[in-house]
Amino acid sequence: MLIRIHGGRVVDPTAGRDAVGEVWIEDGRVVGASDRAPDRTIDATGCVVMAGGVEVHSHIAGGNVVMSRLLLPDLYVSEAAPEGHPFAHAGGSAAWIGANYARMGYTLAVEPAMPPANALATQLELADIPLLDRGALTVLGNDDHLLQLLRAREGKAAVRDLVALSVATSRGLGVKCINAGGASAFKDGMLKLSLDDEIPVYGLSTRKIMGALLDAVEEIGVPHPLHVHCNNLGIPGADESFVATLEAAEGRRIHFAHAQFYGYGVADPENPLTGGFRSAAERITEAMEAHPNATYDVGQVAFGQTVTISLDILRQFAGRKGANPKKWIVNAGDAEGGGVVPFLYKPRGPVSSLQWAIGLELMLLAKEPERTILTTDHPNGGPFTDYPHIIHLLMDKEKRDREIAGLHKVIGERSGLCAIEREYSFSEIAQLTRSGPAKLLGLADRGHLREGARADVAIYRDDKNRTAMFARAKLVLKDGETIVEDGEVVAWRSGRTLELAVESDKAMVARSETYLQDRFGTGLKSFSVPDEAFPKPDVFAEVACRS
Amino acid sequence: MAAWVKGGATDADAAVEAAATLLASAHNAVVAGLCAELSAVRAAYHLADALGASVDPVAGPSLYAELGPLSRTGAMTTTPAEAIGRADAVLIVGNAPWDRPIVGDIAGSQATRGRAAGSERVILSLGGPRNGATRHVAYPVEAGGLAVSIAHLRAFLKGNLAGEAAYADLAKRLSSAQYGVVLYDPAEIGELGVEMLTGLIKDLNEATRFFGLSLADPFQGRALLQLAAWTTGQAPRVGFGRHLPEHDPWRFDSARQIAAGEADAALWLASLPAPRPDWLGTLPSVAIVGVGSPDASGDVADVVFAVGVPGESAGGSLWDERRAAIAYVPASGQTAELSAAGILTAIQERLTQKKAAAC
Repeated sequence: MLIRIHGGRVVDPTAGRDAVGEVWIEDGRVVGASDRAPDRTIDATGCVVMAGGVEVHSHIAGGNVVMSRLLLPDLYVSEAAPEGHPFAHAGGSAAWIGANYARMGYTLAVEPAMPPANALATQLELADIPLLDRGALTVLGNDDHLLQLLRAREGKAAVRDLVALSVATSRGLGVKCINAGGASAFKDGMLKLSLDDEIPVYGLSTRKIMGALLDAVEEIGVPHPLHVHCNNLGIPGADESFVATLEAAEGRRIHFAHAQFYGYGVADPENPLTGGFRSAAERITEAMEAHPNATYDVGQVAFGQTVTISLDILRQFAGRKGANPKKWIVNAGDAEGGGVVPFLYKPRGPVSSLQWAIGLELMLLAKEPERTILTTDHPNGGPFTDYPHIIHLLMDKEKRDREIAGLHKVIGERSGLCAIEREYSFSEIAQLTRSGPAKLLGLADRGHLREGARADVAIYRDDKNRTAMFARAKLVLKDGETIVEDGEVVAWRSGRTLELAVESDKAMVARSETYLQDRFGTGLKSFSVPDEAFPKPDVFAEVACRS
Repeated sequence: MAAWVKGGATDADAAVEAAATLLASAHNAVVAGLCAELSAVRAAYHLADALGASVDPVAGPSLYAELGPLSRTGAMTTTPAEAIGRADAVLIVGNAPWDRPIVGDIAGSQATRGRAAGSERVILSLGGPRNGATRHVAYPVEAGGLAVSIAHLRAFLKGNLAGEAAYADLAKRLSSAQYGVVLYDPAEIGELGVEMLTGLIKDLNEATRFFGLSLADPFQGRALLQLAAWTTGQAPRVGFGRHLPEHDPWRFDSARQIAAGEADAALWLASLPAPRPDWLGTLPSVAIVGVGSPDASGDVADVVFAVGVPGESAGGSLWDERRAAIAYVPASGQTAELSAAGILTAIQERLTQKKAAAC
């Protein structure tokens, strides 16, 4: 089917487009303008046309997401669903996640924390998210097998082979490390870990583990750089960990998760632990400008009740004292495990207000929005459904000022947000939410509207109320098929889960088999994610490694 | 034979038609059991939604002994492999754990990972059998039962009780562990016991590392719990009568609903062995059971299907107790003619056709 979208303001920063124009689609791909009469014409007059949104860091599947639903069963509201997907209105469910992303014009979402030990359950859950394409990052950095290899100084090839095998077995799209060594250290009694602290038993450090993973990711050719959750998240002085980790990458590609949670400079150097924090957004921005090898996603805070979910059990255990309501879960799992701690971001509270400001400040200071990805680290900073509101704040200084006026005065005292005049353009929003994350994931056919792109397209009514505009897309096409009209899902389809096409070394397969049999009483097959486990065929689609 | 209607053998299509007719005429159906591979459980939730039925797994009592405390206080847990590989102290609470392989695995090994590696593992018991086969230090249960005993132990640990009592000694042993684990069966110690134990474990973590390890039920409850949560956003016992998943463990207790006369039809799903409920056959019922099981006969329910048994005559994703994770298990022998997920999906499709024809 040949489709012509016309009359709309086409925004594609990768092609320098920001003007009224046309987009042509055929067989699920963007094509050049055709002389043939289109089979379908979409009138986008008065609308903004963008590529489908791409999410790189949102906790949408896995054991800890499950536990969060059981810990806080009333966090999301369920509504009656008269038509359509049976569970799309079941608050917090996989179908609800797919439907809400699609309504906002998103067409791909990545779960950033898939432990290899729980890969099948995570992948089954991801496959139940309708409408979107999906992916998951394989988490490494605390597993005994990897740490043993590093302790024994087995060399880069062994680490590379174990990483490749872990990604292949779990069918991940990339690799993440979460407070590398932190979970192991926590199990052995430590409550704080910095980049060069010695991890008990193994004699390693976060620097060594992360460095090995950075090398492995490059050697394998994983398109997405190593996705790093640093030490010391959320504490005054976390900016030191961020900058130190950035420098420790030594020029290798690196992506930082939820930078906002590291934008906390010590407010009182005389009393670093008790003096609170102030915005370190400027420092982080300067460091990022000096390191073009790095990207980050923001982890913007949205006010209200949420639940924090992280495999950083050292941090989550420390965060238990701030649980609101006062209940929490920590699971010392087979590598990281996970922690689930409810949290209430209070709009009039100084801490939450400053966190909110730092996230916005980071985005508004960024000279390259493509290296600054919009996330809320759902649900850690707040729900992904707050993106339209955040976009509104970025695009509208007056709106920002109105909201700041209702928040705690600490924003003016400890951040530079109030002085920032910048308003994001549509092109910059597209960089923040489309082209940037697609490039980051190494997906050349997404995040733009050039010829050959996947026909994932979002059309929004141009409305000064940007919250309303981006909350309910006028039309969303997924692979050229209409899935959303006027903010409602009109066609339920299954997307694909993206997995990295990576080969496993036979010697490492044999070695891992022995290791797993000894530790779990069962081998690699038990950790596999076979096609037969899924209720429908063709769940997965391969993404090639970098050559 | 793979399908029966009213006691007579028939083909699968006829049985699907009969099942769809039976369920379509119900006002308030229950879908129960769900002791099956995940694909079948998934199909059962979709069918229940289409029917406006409620769902109640046979694993319910064990699951809800933990889910209540979990939603009130949380948990601090570990896995079997971490317990075996890291623990220097293991407290076994009650009788039930002693019948599980994990006790032998723990008793027959010592810590090989972490700071306790190489140290002698101490096995302690509270209210368990004086099992001579496994060397351990036994502490008797108090008159009030396990939950009260755990409460007293916690009081000694926190210093709210003091003296030369046995529990004071046990509290000292727990406190001195480097990586301690409490092994228990939630169904045995009950909600109160689980909640008190969680408090005890959290208290211990103010000074050391200590975790709970609860035994999984034998009916796939841990696997279906995950699927229920991602499918409905809720724990397993939900009703779809109002076109949205409503979670209510009391209201959607299938035995209670049927005893109270609230339910007028039932679907029992047990492709893996599970105790057949007394109520099956007392109301219009469909049973989907494993090939070769004692329940695979025409007299069990109005409509009966004998389907592949996961791990034997069908592949399926199941709870792996040793790994505490969902794993795929292929069929070990010849694949059965019918699959549970296939039958459930076929019933739902037939229901949809009936609904469309009625419009």
